[in-house]
Amino acid sequence: MRINVQVLLLFSVFVVATCGLVYELVAGTLASYLLGDSVTQFSTIIGVYLFSMGIGSYLSRFFNRNLIAWFIQVEVLVAVVGGFSSTLLFLLFDRVASFQMVLYLLVSLTGILVGLEIPLIMRILEDRFEFKELVSKVFTFDYIGALLASVIFPLLLVPHLGLLRTSFFFGLLNAGVALWLCFYFSKEVKWIHFLRISCVASIVALVAGFVLSDRILAFTESLSYADKIIYSVQSPYQKIVLTKNEREFRLFLNGNLQFSSSDEYRYHEALVHPGLNSVKYPKKVLVLGGGDGLAVREILRYPSVEKVVLVDLDQAVTKLFASHEVLKNLNQGALLSKKVQVINTDAFQWLKTSQEQFDFVVIDFPDPANYAIGKLYSNTFYKVLRQAIAPGGAAVIQATSPFVAPNAYWCVVNTLVSCGFTTLPYHAHVPSFGDWGFVLASPDKMLPVNGQFMPQLRFLDQATFEQMRTFPKDMPARQTEVNKLNNQALVRYFEDEWAHYIN
Amino acid sequence: MKAEERRRFLKQSALALGGLALAGTALPGCGTEETKQVAGRLFGPSFKAGHLLRTGIRKVPARTQEVDVVIIGGGVSGLSAARWLQKNSEQRVCLLELEDRTGGNSQSGKNAHSAFPWGAHYLPLPNNSNTQLLRFLEEAKLITGYDAAGLPLYNEYHLCFDPEERLFINGYWQEGLVPNWSVPPADLQQIDRFQALMDEMKQAKGADGRFAFDIPLAHSSSDDQFRQLDQLTMQDWLQKQNLTSTYLSWYVEYCCLDDFGGTLAQTSAWAAIHYFAARRAQAANSDAHRVLTWPQGNHWLAERLREQAGPDLRTGSLVYNLEVADDKIVVDYLDLATDEATRLMAKKCVMATPQFVRERLLAKVPAAPKVNSRIFTYAPWVVANLTLNQVPAGKGIPLSWDNVIYGSSSLGYVNAQHQSVVGFPDKQVITFYYPIPDTSPASRQAVFTRKREDWTELVLQELEKAHPSIREEVEQLDVWVWGHGMIKPTPGFIWGPDREAAAQPIQNKIAFAHSDLSGISIFEEAFYKGIKAAQQILTS
Ligand SMILES: Cc1cc2nc3c(=O)[nH]c(=O)nc-3n(C[C@H](O)[C@H](O)[C@H](O)COP(=O)(O)OP(=O)(O)OC[C@H]3O[C@@H](n4cnc5c(N)ncnc54)[C@H](O)[C@@H]3O)c2cc1C
Repeated sequence: MRINVQVLLLFSVFVVATCGLVYELVAGTLASYLLGDSVTQFSTIIGVYLFSMGIGSYLSRFFNRNLIAWFIQVEVLVAVVGGFSSTLLFLLFDRVASFQMVLYLLVSLTGILVGLEIPLIMRILEDRFEFKELVSKVFTFDYIGALLASVIFPLLLVPHLGLLRTSFFFGLLNAGVALWLCFYFSKEVKWIHFLRISCVASIVALVAGFVLSDRILAFTESLSYADKIIYSVQSPYQKIVLTKNEREFRLFLNGNLQFSSSDEYRYHEALVHPGLNSVKYPKKVLVLGGGDGLAVREILRYPSVEKVVLVDLDQAVTKLFASHEVLKNLNQGALLSKKVQVINTDAFQWLKTSQEQFDFVVIDFPDPANYAIGKLYSNTFYKVLRQAIAPGGAAVIQATSPFVAPNAYWCVVNTLVSCGFTTLPYHAHVPSFGDWGFVLASPDKMLPVNGQFMPQLRFLDQATFEQMRTFPKDMPARQTEVNKLNNQALVRYFEDEWAHYIN
Repeated sequence: MKAEERRRFLKQSALALGGLALAGTALPGCGTEETKQVAGRLFGPSFKAGHLLRTGIRKVPARTQEVDVVIIGGGVSGLSAARWLQKNSEQRVCLLELEDRTGGNSQSGKNAHSAFPWGAHYLPLPNNSNTQLLRFLEEAKLITGYDAAGLPLYNEYHLCFDPEERLFINGYWQEGLVPNWSVPPADLQQIDRFQALMDEMKQAKGADGRFAFDIPLAHSSSDDQFRQLDQLTMQDWLQKQNLTSTYLSWYVEYCCLDDFGGTLAQTSAWAAIHYFAARRAQAANSDAHRVLTWPQGNHWLAERLREQAGPDLRTGSLVYNLEVADDKIVVDYLDLATDEATRLMAKKCVMATPQFVRERLLAKVPAAPKVNSRIFTYAPWVVANLTLNQVPAGKGIPLSWDNVIYGSSSLGYVNAQHQSVVGFPDKQVITFYYPIPDTSPASRQAVFTRKREDWTELVLQELEKAHPSIREEVEQLDVWVWGHGMIKPTPGFIWGPDREAAAQPIQNKIAFAHSDLSGISIFEEAFYKGIKAAQQILTS
C-alpha cells in the first residue's frame, strides 16, 4: 500500500523539526556543561542556530530543479552533521585551540541545512495543496515536532540515551526518512542511485556511532582533566595521565591527582626529611609506593645513603618516571641512580617475604579508597613493617588529610600505636591537596626529631616543622578503631569522610 | 572542581545505561558469540573406587601386616582420630584413604593464580567452650595467644578479611547476607523478629543446665522442650511463628542449603535453629561472626591435622573387606596404583567413612547393629572453580569473600584469593557452590550423567543473574560433583534412634567417627567425632 505522498512529506516535516530542535538542544547542553555559564551558552546557541536557519531559508531560492532530490540530499547531510555533532564536540573539546569556533561552526551548519528543508518541502508540496492550507499544515507539524523534542529531550533522551546516542538516534531518523523518500520517489528523482547509496552509507555510519559511542568516550579522557593531556597510558593496574598547563604538570592515577609540579616539593620534603633527618647515618632506605621517584630524589640528598629500594606495583609508572624527559627532570633522574633498585611487585607480599632491614622506610601508597589498598594500612601490614626496620630506624606514612578525613588520619596513627610503634603525627599545607597528614613511626620508645634541616630545602625548616607538629583546635587527635584486615575500618572512614567533603 | 564535575556529569549522561540496553537489543549481530567454548575439566570423588566397591572385589591379599589400630577414611574425622591417638597413645596406627590425598570433603586444588577449595571452605570462630578444638587451633598457630580476659587472639591472615559478605538483590550488591536492600518494611520487621528469636535461642538453656543448642551437637541440652523441634520441618516452624515473609524464607533456606544441602521443607527445625543459635564465640581481635578461611578452604585445616596424624598414612588405598576374627579385626585394602591387595590385622578399628560405605564394609560383621540406613540421606553438591580475567564489577559493595545472589538456586561464590594480601591479582579465581536438594530419582540420575558442558552452562547461567557479562571473562571452569555431598538432617534424624544406634562402637573394637553420625556435616563435628572414636578405642 502506498502511503499518500502528502502524508509522507508532512511526516518528514515533523521528523525534520524534531531532529532540528534536538540538535540545537544537544549543542546547548554540551556547551553549557563544557564551558559553563548556561544562560550565555543557550542564548548564543539558539541565536546562532535561528540565524543560520534564516541563511538556509534564504539559500533555498537558489534551488530550482530536482527539488525532491535536493531535499533528500539535505536530509542526508543533516543526518550526518547532526548525528555526529555531539561526538565531534566531545572528541575535540580540549584538542583544538578554539573550541567555540568548532561549536558555532557546527551549530551554523546544522542550522543552515535545517533552514533549507522547510522552504524546500513547501515548494515540493506547493502544487499539492492550496497555499493557505500548505502554510498551516507545514508549520503545524513543524511546531508540534519542536514541542515533542523539547519535552522528550530532558525527560527521556538525556537520562536514558545520553547525549551521544541521542544525536546518533536522531541522525538515524533523518537518514531513515531520506531513504524512505528515495524508495517512494524512485521513479521521479534524479541521481537516485547516488542518493540511495549515500543514505545507506550514512545509516551504517550512524549505527556504528550509536553502538560504539561508549567506546568512543572511553578513548577521550578529555572530560576528566582540566588541562592538556601530554601523556596517557592504561597499565594493568591503573590509568596514568600527565597533564600540563602554563604553570605546572599534574599526574593523575585513575583520575586522582597524585601531584602537581608546582607544589610537590612541599609534599615530598614533608614526607621524607623529618624522619630521615632524624636517623643517624642512614644507609639503607626503603620506599613503598612512590614510583614517581620524587621521594627518592629527597632521600638521595643524604650522602650517607648507599642503597634505596623502591617497591611499586606498577612498572608503567616507574618506567615513565625513569624515561620521560619532563618527569626525569622533576625527580632529577632519581630512578636512574646507581644507588636505587626498583622492584615492581605487590608491596605487602614483598615485605612479608623480605628478610632485609632498613634504616628508614617511606610509605607513599595511594589513599585508602578501596579494600585492596586498605590492606596496606592494616595492623597486620604494620607488624610486618616493624620487622623490616633496623634498630634505631623509623618509618613515615602518608596518611590522607587530617582536615578532610580526620577519622581516617587518626585511624592510621592509632593502628600504628596498636602495633607498638611510637608515633609523631604532623601535617603540612600542600596547595593542590590541602592540609595533608603524615605519621612518623618508630619501633623504639623514643622518637627524637632533628630539626636542623639541610638549607637547600625549599619548604622545610625548624620553625616550619614546629608548626607542622601542632594540630590546631579544629583538628584534634581522635579515638578510632584499629584498621585490621578483618574490619577494613580505614576504608570505611575514608569513604565516609571524602563522600561528605565532595558532596 | 566545578568544571570537572560538569565533565563528569556529561560523561555519565553521555554513557547513560539505557543506551547500552537499547544497543544490545537492537543489534543482535553485535553481541559476543554465545557458543564460546569454555575450557575446563570434570572431577569427583574416585569414581573407579566407588564402582569397584559396588561390584565387589575378590582379590586375595598377597601380604599381611600387623598394626594396633586401623583407621578407614582420611577425611577430617579420620585424621582427627589419628591425631588423637598419636598424641595420647603409643598405638601403631595405620590410616587408609582411597583418594590420592587425605582431606575427604575438605579437598582443594591449585592453579597458577591461587589455591581453591573443592569442598568445605570455612570454619566459623569456634565456641570458647570447645577447648579441644581451641587446643588444635593453637597447635596450628591459628590462635596466637589469649588476651587478659582470656579471649583467643586469632591469626589475622586467616580471619576472613573485610568485606566478608554481600548479597545481590534487586539489582544491587548489598553488604551482608540478610536481605535489606529495597526490602519492604513489613519483611524487615519479620526478619528482625526472627533474629530476636534466634538470639533468645542462643542463650536458652534446658532443665539440665546445658545450652539448648551447642557444638559439638552432643553437648546440647536433652530437654524435650527443644529436642521436640526435631520433629518439625523448618518450614512448619516458620509458619507456626507466623514468619511468612518471602525474603526471610529465602534467607533461612539459603542457610539450610549452605549447611545441610536441604530446603526448608526437608530440614529439621532443630537443625536449622542450631545453625543460628549454636555459635557464641568471642575473640580478642575479631567480631563474633567472623569465619576462619584460607585460599584452599578447610583443606588447610585437614593438612594441619595430617601433619599430626602420625607416619603411616596410606593414600590410594581402598578398603574393600572387613571381618572380625577371634580377637583381631581383618581389614583388606587395594592399592589403587599397583592393584595389589594387603591384609591388615589390627586390634582396633576406627571407621571414618560415610554411612553407605560403612554398610557395605560391615556386611560380614554379625555383631553390627541393624541400622535403618534409609534414614541417612544426602544432598549432592556441585562445586565449580572459575579462573576469570576479572570478576565483573557491579553496583554496590565490591567483591567480597562470600558473594550470594538472591533468587539463584546456587549459593553464589567465594573469592578464593580473598585471604591473599596481594591487592591486584592478575587473574581472579572464584569458587561456585551449588547444592542439589531435589531427591527425585531423575534428579539423582542427572547428577551422575550430566556432562561437563551441562554443568558449565548451569554455572554460567546462575552467575549471569548477577554478572551478565561473566562469560567473556572466563578463562577456565572446572567442576567437581559430589554425589553424596552432605548428610541431611531431615526431621527426626538427629534425635531419633537410628543415628544413635549407628554411633555405638561394636564389641569395643570398632568405633565410628564420620560426621554423618552427627547429622550435621561441619568441621567441628568431624573433628569431635574423630576424637570421640579415638577415646572409645583407648578406654576399652
Ligand atoms: C561441597 C561441600 C562444602 C562444604 N562446606 C563446608 C564448610 O564450609 N565448612 C564445614 O565445616 N563443613 C563443610 N562441609 C562439610 C564437610 O563434609 C565436613 O566439614 C568434613 O570435611 C567431613 O569430614 P568427614 O571425615 O566426616 O567425612 P569425609 O570428608 O566424607 O571423609 C570420608 C573419607 O573416607 C574415604 N573413604 C570412603 N570410603 C573409603 C574406603 N572404602 N576406603 C578408604 N577410604 C574411604 C573418603 O575418600 C573420604 O576421604 C562441606 C561439604 C561439602 C560436600
